[in-house]
Amino acid sequence: MGRMRRTLFLLHTLFHSWRYICTEEFVALLLALFVFMVPVSATTRFETRGLLMQTTDPGATTSYTVTLKFMSPEQVGSLDMLFCNDPIPYMPCAIPTGLDVSHATLTNQSGETGFSIHSQTQNHIILARTPTVPIYPSESSFTFSGIVNPTDTSQAFSIRMKSLSSIDGTGPLIDFGSVRGQVETGIMIQSQVPPMLVFCAAQHVDDNCAGTDETYYRDMGTLSPHDTLTAQSQLAVGTNASQGFVVTANGPPMSAGTSVINSPVLPTESQQGTNQFGINLVENTVPAIGNNPEGTWANAVPSADYGIPNKYKFVSGDVVAYSPNVSLMRKFTVSYILNSGKDLRAGVYTTTITLIASGRF
Amino acid sequence: MKHIKSLVLAVFAVLLSVTYVLPPTQVAADSSSALGIAPKKNYVIEPGNSVQDKLNITNLDQATALNLTLRVIDFSFTGNGGTPKLFLDTNTPQTTWSLRSYLKVPQTVTIDPGKSKQVDLNVAIPKGHGAGSYYSAIVYSSGSGQGGNIGLNASGVTLVFVNVPGKVKENLDFTHIGAYDRAAQGDLSGYHYFNTQAPDTIAYTLKNNGNVVEAPAGNITLRDIFGRTTTINELNPSSSLALIGQERTFLTCVKLKPEDVKLGNTTTKSSTCDASGLWPGYYSVSADLFYGQNGNLTQEVTKVGGFWYLPWWFIGVAVVVLGVAGFYGWRAYNKIRNKLYGPRVAKTKSARRK
Repeated sequence: MGRMRRTLFLLHTLFHSWRYICTEEFVALLLALFVFMVPVSATTRFETRGLLMQTTDPGATTSYTVTLKFMSPEQVGSLDMLFCNDPIPYMPCAIPTGLDVSHATLTNQSGETGFSIHSQTQNHIILARTPTVPIYPSESSFTFSGIVNPTDTSQAFSIRMKSLSSIDGTGPLIDFGSVRGQVETGIMIQSQVPPMLVFCAAQHVDDNCAGTDETYYRDMGTLSPHDTLTAQSQLAVGTNASQGFVVTANGPPMSAGTSVINSPVLPTESQQGTNQFGINLVENTVPAIGNNPEGTWANAVPSADYGIPNKYKFVSGDVVAYSPNVSLMRKFTVSYILNSGKDLRAGVYTTTITLIASGRF
Repeated sequence: MKHIKSLVLAVFAVLLSVTYVLPPTQVAADSSSALGIAPKKNYVIEPGNSVQDKLNITNLDQATALNLTLRVIDFSFTGNGGTPKLFLDTNTPQTTWSLRSYLKVPQTVTIDPGKSKQVDLNVAIPKGHGAGSYYSAIVYSSGSGQGGNIGLNASGVTLVFVNVPGKVKENLDFTHIGAYDRAAQGDLSGYHYFNTQAPDTIAYTLKNNGNVVEAPAGNITLRDIFGRTTTINELNPSSSLALIGQERTFLTCVKLKPEDVKLGNTTTKSSTCDASGLWPGYYSVSADLFYGQNGNLTQEVTKVGGFWYLPWWFIGVAVVVLGVAGFYGWRAYNKIRNKLYGPRVAKTKSARRK
């Protein structure tokens, strides 16, 4: 108790002298400066930024309308517009392939007006006017005609904009911000092939799908609680699309009339004497069936639940194999197991599995 | 009369039991199941306009003709990745983004062995149709299994996206960013805060609350504890999309390695993740993303995350270094203490009693 009192006394003596240096008024002044001065001196972002491209066809000559709202109450003498792939102002500027604004003309302006083109290059336009404080409360717009669109449909491009007090785009900036655009109608680049998805499935297929044995059904034999019935089929799949592919397995459970053999919803070992229908896409030892995927494109793989040796499941609609990106050709073997309990009703149990290959988005 | 009635019933019963017990007849299929199709089609169509395009379908089988049945279905998404969830049931109601009413393709196509065929695809957007993204899928069904216990069908799918320009609702929520394990295929469980292997993939997850599919632009910056930065400019190297309502995980690489993939006599572009070359330690990850359709406002979302990269060798070395430092520190402490106060003396029983 006495020790705490001593500590408090020491603290009091320490801060008592500071009180005369840092008065309440001084602290209040500091706070006021912090609250009011900082936003005024800092650059802010243009609000309600937007870009309207009259046509988004790659390589087309068209007009762009840029909208923005000036935010800072400071004199604006120029508006700098830099066309780059990357919208971030401090990053190096890569010119969007095919873009050309060197022959653009300013055909319309609204809101904050009085601008004219001061200078322009292939990807840079500087607008200038007599320095004036923006007074228009809503957004301003600037329309340029004669702009040649970029040609690369695979990525967006940006216009990095900044307002400055000088009339030549130099000096400290006032407001900044980027707008985003993208050309959208696909054109074929000569050196590239259009994306394609190749798929085949049968009991046996060639690696490149050039042929199959044209067998699309399989008799598995006679059900017995002491046996596991097996079958296998193959599929080959590949794509040059950068998003890759997925193969899903779809179908009803194995059934005979109203009697149904259900499938495990989690990867499960084959268990004789139970009613069980399942598949996987790897080599197994219990029972000995199946093969691991064949082919050089290792990024095409069975999905996790269907890639565990000796464990089987089947849920309609599940992805059984996929590739996250380009994978030209890979062959998968689908193993089917069928077990039956002694109480299973007699009958011919059938199902149809639809393997569907699709691109990813 | 009674006799005939019981005879008919008996025949019917026999027929029924035979059908039920005997294996179904195995019917050999006479169609190829090897097809090549376009995985995706994109169009921009103004309301009141239409697009006439061709679908190029190839029969890769050199010996057998390919008989295809075509139909248009809707799709959505599965989880946080790019896997389409196909609504195969013909009774499924149309989605709000469905193209089923506007997309027309022939119902059947036959293609000779080893040949390609171009079939008509027509998309017509009615006048006054709202702006936004619309999408459906074309399913090509081939080889049909009839007979045996297991029948097999092989189908391919083309995803068709149409962007109707105009004022749209766009809203992306930035939910996650960090080091990611690609094997998780977009699932949020793939984000790892502690990594014992150098992360080569950075992911970010966006929830699309708008009525258009989105693909953001921008960049990601990695900063280590010494302030050194690595910038990732290729935010979306696979041109992935966040579908309407989807919380989508986009993957990119710390170091992207572009590749030319040869396909026949031509090449196609691909990319893989190169070794990131990151040093052990903590990394902050900040993203600055831009999105906005043509004629709409450009919007910006940012998020900061972080992760640790602590390889096992580093943990081992750190434990050894700390152990050695602790050992010598303890020895130094004892040495100083002994010099100041003399060596410690173990208390005797009698001293403890006192």
